[in-house]
Amino acid sequence: MSDAAAIPKSPAAEVVTKIVNFARVSPGIVAGVAVLLFLLLASFLAPLPYDPVTPDPTSVLQPPSAQHIFGTDANGFDVFSRVVAAGRSDLPLALAGTLASLVIGLLVGLPLSVKSKWSEGFMRALDAFQSFPLIVLSVTIVSLTGNDIQNILYAIVIINGPRFIRLIRSEALAIREARFIEAAIATGARPRRVMFRHIMPNVIDVCLVQCSLTTANAVIVIAALNFLGIGVSPPTPTWGSMVQVGAQAISTGQWWIAIWPGVAIFIAIASLNMLANGIQRRVEGS
Amino acid sequence: MTTARAAQPAVKQKQRRPMLRYILKRIAIVPISVFVLGSVSFFLTFLIPGDPAITILGDFATKEQIAHVNAQLGLDKPVLERYVSYWTNLLQGDLGTSFFTNEPVLSDLGKFLPNTIELVFFSLLFALALGMTIGVIGAYFARRLPDRIMSGITSVLQSVPDFFLALVGIYVFFFLLGWAPAPIGRLPITAGSADERPFLIFSSLFTGDWETLGMAVSHAALPVLALGLVYASYFAKTARGSMGTALTTPQVEFARACGLRERTVVYYAFAASRTTVITYVAILFGSLLGGAAIVERVFNWRGMGQWALDGVLKVDVPIIQGFVITAGLLTLTLFLLLDIVVLLLDPRVSYE
Repeated sequence: MSDAAAIPKSPAAEVVTKIVNFARVSPGIVAGVAVLLFLLLASFLAPLPYDPVTPDPTSVLQPPSAQHIFGTDANGFDVFSRVVAAGRSDLPLALAGTLASLVIGLLVGLPLSVKSKWSEGFMRALDAFQSFPLIVLSVTIVSLTGNDIQNILYAIVIINGPRFIRLIRSEALAIREARFIEAAIATGARPRRVMFRHIMPNVIDVCLVQCSLTTANAVIVIAALNFLGIGVSPPTPTWGSMVQVGAQAISTGQWWIAIWPGVAIFIAIASLNMLANGIQRRVEGS
Repeated sequence: MTTARAAQPAVKQKQRRPMLRYILKRIAIVPISVFVLGSVSFFLTFLIPGDPAITILGDFATKEQIAHVNAQLGLDKPVLERYVSYWTNLLQGDLGTSFFTNEPVLSDLGKFLPNTIELVFFSLLFALALGMTIGVIGAYFARRLPDRIMSGITSVLQSVPDFFLALVGIYVFFFLLGWAPAPIGRLPITAGSADERPFLIFSSLFTGDWETLGMAVSHAALPVLALGLVYASYFAKTARGSMGTALTTPQVEFARACGLRERTVVYYAFAASRTTVITYVAILFGSLLGGAAIVERVFNWRGMGQWALDGVLKVDVPIIQGFVITAGLLTLTLFLLLDIVVLLLDPRVSYE
């Protein structure tokens, strides 16, 4: 490191050194973020060899080849173009669902950390709610409120909102015991200020872990609902609906239609889990 | 819920039979939960946008069909009256009939629920065995090479959606290797009416019908594998965590100091973390009752999840309500049993 300090460097190189140093300490975070950024950038910017929503009826069920590197499906869609393009709807939706769950978790979980009979009752109700098979409940709600991709957002929030509430509440309960909260109250800070200025910044690091786990879960929920045909508007590709199309062909050996979007789902979830583990380790270490 | 806490003898002496009191208290809450559950399932129908009958039947429905659905939903009556008659029917065990098949929901449940219970039972058994092995090995060799390998396996299993694993299984074991039968149900088409029997695997095991048992097991293998592998990651994580803590406690050090065999030491550490594992079994069992739906659908397993999913997609309200109530009741019962079992196994739990 002494060499690096001696030679003057351009700002860009300095950033690179910082990233490399960070990667030495937390390889999980850097790898996870890198893969995620790659997926996001690829789905929005990568040049597609074929139009993902225009089928080519002359090449149907082609195995992977030089023309179609991931093959084509029963309708003549190019699987590679669709796998890449599907990230445009799947990833932002997963992130939006996570963000909504986080906001709900903060808005409900922080006030609930004030001990009272009322908050105990609410947690009991939450227990009962969470003990339910939530994936089916969310399918019910999405299909009853209309077959719209935005409604998948509700499903993600229904499943993950309670987890955030629980996590944030229990963290906030522990932080409330700290001396600096006592000090803040003694200096005359109002409850709301204590909650958002003093408690909230201290729960954020735990929330970050939960955020990446939630995004991973959201990717699965979106894929599962799309697999069932919920929130899909046909030519637009999503990973879940592509796996569904491939499922019909897999018993007869056309593996490439279902496997590639499945691999995309796997990579997205694995990188998010890696990120979560990395942050978890940092939070525990500090 | 129960809270782990040091027992307080002073309080204990005041109350006689605290365990019995606790269990009775827990049972006393059940009617309240059932009331909430039933009401939730009733009010679910209010979520349907627009004219429910048209949403359900589609734009091409005839007037009679619409009138029939409206009458069954009771939309021509005031809400309170509907609510009362809903509860009257429910308490008599009448869950209504499906809009599309006209089958009573209760008889559908009798047909499909046993299939799901069997699938979930074997999947969890497999997941438990595999996950515990992975987790215990990881905890025992903490921070060494086996731990890294095991946690690698865990995170791979954690990142695969179960329906995708099911499809890979079908491709490899049915199409490539030909070991598994076609994913078309619980028995080959040639088996005929034997398919109708509830608890196929258990019943053919107990009646000694080896031929049916063989076919049923081979059809169950892939779905059990798919669900079991994915859910093994949950057990592996739990076991790694709780065994990791248990293996560093003073008891374990003491047991080693006493010169007990290593296997006995690990067994004692395991005994200390068993309540966590049992809790997980109950939670996963509850969520898999509906959560196995997609895998059931891929294998045409004809289980409760698949049935409910089809009902949900067709907006078949009585089926949705029947499923919500059944799954809720089963979960309630399961959690009640769980609390009692944990109480019996772990004397540190307080009776509150």
